[in-house]
Amino acid sequence: MDARSFAVSYSSPYSPSSAFRNGHHHPLVVNVSSLSNCKILSRHLTQICPSLEVVRMQDVATKHNAVDKESPVENLKDGLFSATSSHERSDGLCFDYRKDESTVSITVVGASGDLAKKKIFPALFALFYEDCLPKHFTVYGYARSKMTNAELRNMVSKTLTCRIDKRENCSEKMEQFLNRCFYHSGQYDSLDNFMELDTKIKEHEAGRISNRLFYLSIPPNIFIDAVRCASLSASSTNGWTRVIVEKPFGRDSESSAALTRGLKKYLNEDQIFRIDHYLGKELVENLSVLRFSNLVFEPLWSRQYIRNVQLIFSEDFGTEGRGGYFDNYGIIRDIMQNHLLQILALFAMETPVSCDAEDIRNEKVKVLRSMRPLQLENLVVGQYKSHTKGGITYPGYTDDMTVPKDSLTPTFAAAALFIDNARWDGVPFLMKAGKALHTRRAEIRVQFRHVPGNLYNRNIGTDLDQATNELVIKIQPDEAIYLKINNKVPGLGMRLDRSTLNLHYAARYSKEIPDAYERLLLDAIDGERRLFIRSDELDAAWALFTPLLKELEEKKIIPEYYPYGSRGPVGAHYLAARYNVRWGDLGLEQ
Amino acid sequence: MAIRNLSPCSSSGTINLSPSVPHYGTPFSTKSVNFSSRDNSCRWVSHILSEFRSRKLIQLKSSNGHPLNAVSFKDDLPGSPIAKEHTMPQVEGSLPIAESVREQPTLSITIVGASGDLAKKKIFPALFALFYEDCLPENFTVFGYARTEMTDEQLRNMISETLTCRIDKRENCDEKMKEFLKRCFYQSGQYNSEEDFSELNRKLKEKEAGRLPNRLFYLSIPPNIFVDVVRCASLKASSKVGWTRVIVEKPFGRDSDSSRELTRCLKQYLHEDQIFRIDHYLGKELVENLSVLRFSNLVFEPLWSRNFIRNVQLIFSEDFGTEGRGGYFDSYGIIRDIMQNHLLQILALFAMETPVSLDAEDIRNEKVKVLRSMRPLQLEDVIVGQYKGHNKGAKSYPSYTDDPSVAKDSLTPTFAAAALFVNNARWDGVPFLMKAGKALHTKRGEIRVQFRHVPGNLYKTNFGTDLDKATNELVIRVQPDEALFLKINNKVPGLGMRLDRSDLNLLYKARYPREIPDAYERLLLDAIEGERRLFIRSDELDAAWALFTPLLKDLEQRKIAPELYPYGSRGPVGAHYLAAKYNVRWGDLSAEDS
Repeated sequence: MDARSFAVSYSSPYSPSSAFRNGHHHPLVVNVSSLSNCKILSRHLTQICPSLEVVRMQDVATKHNAVDKESPVENLKDGLFSATSSHERSDGLCFDYRKDESTVSITVVGASGDLAKKKIFPALFALFYEDCLPKHFTVYGYARSKMTNAELRNMVSKTLTCRIDKRENCSEKMEQFLNRCFYHSGQYDSLDNFMELDTKIKEHEAGRISNRLFYLSIPPNIFIDAVRCASLSASSTNGWTRVIVEKPFGRDSESSAALTRGLKKYLNEDQIFRIDHYLGKELVENLSVLRFSNLVFEPLWSRQYIRNVQLIFSEDFGTEGRGGYFDNYGIIRDIMQNHLLQILALFAMETPVSCDAEDIRNEKVKVLRSMRPLQLENLVVGQYKSHTKGGITYPGYTDDMTVPKDSLTPTFAAAALFIDNARWDGVPFLMKAGKALHTRRAEIRVQFRHVPGNLYNRNIGTDLDQATNELVIKIQPDEAIYLKINNKVPGLGMRLDRSTLNLHYAARYSKEIPDAYERLLLDAIDGERRLFIRSDELDAAWALFTPLLKELEEKKIIPEYYPYGSRGPVGAHYLAARYNVRWGDLGLEQ
Repeated sequence: MAIRNLSPCSSSGTINLSPSVPHYGTPFSTKSVNFSSRDNSCRWVSHILSEFRSRKLIQLKSSNGHPLNAVSFKDDLPGSPIAKEHTMPQVEGSLPIAESVREQPTLSITIVGASGDLAKKKIFPALFALFYEDCLPENFTVFGYARTEMTDEQLRNMISETLTCRIDKRENCDEKMKEFLKRCFYQSGQYNSEEDFSELNRKLKEKEAGRLPNRLFYLSIPPNIFVDVVRCASLKASSKVGWTRVIVEKPFGRDSDSSRELTRCLKQYLHEDQIFRIDHYLGKELVENLSVLRFSNLVFEPLWSRNFIRNVQLIFSEDFGTEGRGGYFDSYGIIRDIMQNHLLQILALFAMETPVSLDAEDIRNEKVKVLRSMRPLQLEDVIVGQYKGHNKGAKSYPSYTDDPSVAKDSLTPTFAAAALFVNNARWDGVPFLMKAGKALHTKRGEIRVQFRHVPGNLYKTNFGTDLDKATNELVIRVQPDEALFLKINNKVPGLGMRLDRSDLNLLYKARYPREIPDAYERLLLDAIEGERRLFIRSDELDAAWALFTPLLKDLEQRKIAPELYPYGSRGPVGAHYLAAKYNVRWGDLSAEDS
């Protein structure tokens, strides 16, 4: 079956992909995906959650992809059946695929890479450990290096850990997991090698419905090759085939469009899962919950009350000898155009019709398309230089062996963005991202306007803007949400200060928060696309940044230098000042 | 116009220029403004600028003694027996500084009923705390007045037992205590004897030593002798040149008529602006903070109306009964003792429109408007209860009527819950539920604001059938363990999408290490400074009684039997049915009760 027929098989009237293309959904699919939380199922929650809905959803996740094999009527029947029999689910397993019939094969392409070792395998193990993977699953490592299964397992085992909060059976579970891991070596552009992989996979599938997930953890220049080979030689014939793609998704509008075109030659839109791991962060997920499930926030969510929004990302280390990839992209492409812009879109979107992936992504695209084109003067770029502190010398960016000495690549950028729609007109959205700064953090700060006709003005001093409310969502580290309020300092007298109403995750929730990759892998397995980036979203994101990036490069704008470990170039303050904003993360009281 | 004063001591921080000030000429008022805005605080001054201390204090006093915030009353009762506040200090205030220096003011605080419980437990300790914090003027004396024969020494002995220093700073505690006690004196006398008060006056004068005298009387005595004492004090012991103020403790009558009678009698001898009706709940830190929260934060005011608030709950509970001292309580009951004053005051503060300024009169005007907008209370919107004996473990707790000081057949409610409504544009249809009781399972005072559910909630399926259970709630815990928290729906971290209610919270203990001063300290200081914001004006009191009197009469005439509830329980279940009637669920008795 070649790529074409593969795509065609998906366009049966009941398949989700056709629903997607026609712009409407099969009603059952909509229902189900809006409840989409397979994850609710994780063991200790089974009793609490409405398992009925969950099970229906599960079924659809399966059906989704198994459509071409089964008649829709059967699917429906099956859905009803499992819905009614949901009480029998006493095993506490996360997945209730028709038990012995379907299987998931997860192939990590680029298995010997860093991301695979540090994130993907550990995330898969964590899912397994939490019983969130289907009963039948196998994990394949695919890379060019020659390796035996044992060697792969050895390599993988070094990075696996059990959750701190429940360590029982850890080594036992690890062994079980490793037993399901296999390795296949091959070239990324060899149809034959992928054919061999296919044979191996088939062997383990043992005739069950086969669902296949490919995780492309490889450099972008070989994306298309790998996708071509996987799709032509190793895609599932009776289940689904999905491909998770990691950034970079191109380096500008054209290259991104070319990449998408290339992918679409072999894959359908709904088979492409562009991962942005920031969207899998707990507090980014919580953003919508906070906003849409609480009465107290939504009324404030507009230009009427919000003065500015700040999206801040900082790392406290530089490229550390691995600047090769980075130098070609720079901080704007690496962090802003994807992670921060995605958060911005999620933050600023209108209320979606439902929590369905397409509804949410539709709203996000609308935000991106309403954005005012970015101007060079609304951008500050910086690059870190070496710095000596207490006997230790920290290297400058261009000291990195893998970086050209005359590189102008920004390692820091701050930008002011605007959304020209009714809700956000005039509200500056400030982004800031940098490497080698004084701290490691990611946060969203919402600064509210000052109180009109404030009775307590005299207690606040001359700058009313210093006494405004601020909502801070700390994404990492130390997840927390806090709202800064003006409060009377207890005691005689009337002195006001800013205190926080806060929710510190570590204090409130004893459970360890899962890594973003766990959530995203599980979503991909479930076919939940909410947290993945659709092609048109990506287009819109590039359309916003491409002209600016081109201009930066053509004009050879020299970045403002800042010392390694500092708070970044002062230019960022002037940019903020221009829009009457004060960075919330660099104030006295944070 | 109000001048905000950043003083840590000046509890008000506000020097009022009431709207009628222009009558007295602008130059004079601007001068006063300058004074008061400069003389930041007694403590600051004493610690940082000690050399200027006396001078600054004088400025403070002169502007305080100055009846700027009283002028609006001048027209009310011209030529009343002691209208001293209006004459001398006014001249004083408008005089140049040098003039005031010559006439150093002095403050005499007389506690009438000095041997009583309140005096021992609250008033003297509060005065000492103020002294300890350098919040009292340089020249002050404290007089105890009661019928008991006692020497100064004996009084000091008695007082010293209840004085404590703040936990967070104990330096010089003994020394300070000694200094304070040296300024305490005792005068025994009858409460209705003008001669005895003359004698007091003589002693006061002696201590005042010719300085400008300001006198504060604290009436810590039963209500039946209020008027006698006020008469004697006013005729014989009031200040001739400085101000004379009288702090009155509840009860302020037991219904509209008796309250009005009391006010009428007080007004025979005192001006409105000399009467400081204390409601110590208004001095609580978090009640004070209520207005700050609302008016100095952008995020709350937009939500402060029927559009977003589903109901408001005002809850007061004590975990003990009358414990052998039910004599006074039995003739008043919980409605008069807690609801009609403390809870209703908080309600008014909560529900009022934005005042023109933080000026006492502006705030009290708004509060009166709320009270007057209230729908008359109906009997069917009230539940009354009375605690009965209860055995728990080996211990048996007495019932209310077991109290020897209570009539065996007493129907006096020790518990009450009521649904009130404010019929104005902001609050129409929003139930304000009050609940107050003795001998309950816990001791607490709190305000709970329950918000409406999210219209068209995207996460409906995550909530189960009762959307009202997943609403936001703002809780202001007045006591104990002062705290603010906002309950929000949050995603439980982890894979999946499970929501729970978490708190955005501010625990005072964790945020503010300093000990929170007792309400009495704040109120005494306010009275000394002439800040009336937290005291109850006569028309407020009238309106409060007008709301409750018909109901109280109804209850008594019909001899409504209270629902009995066991000592130490959560109160009568009737309260739940009352709440249910208005589609409310008590926030303090739910499963997740914090």
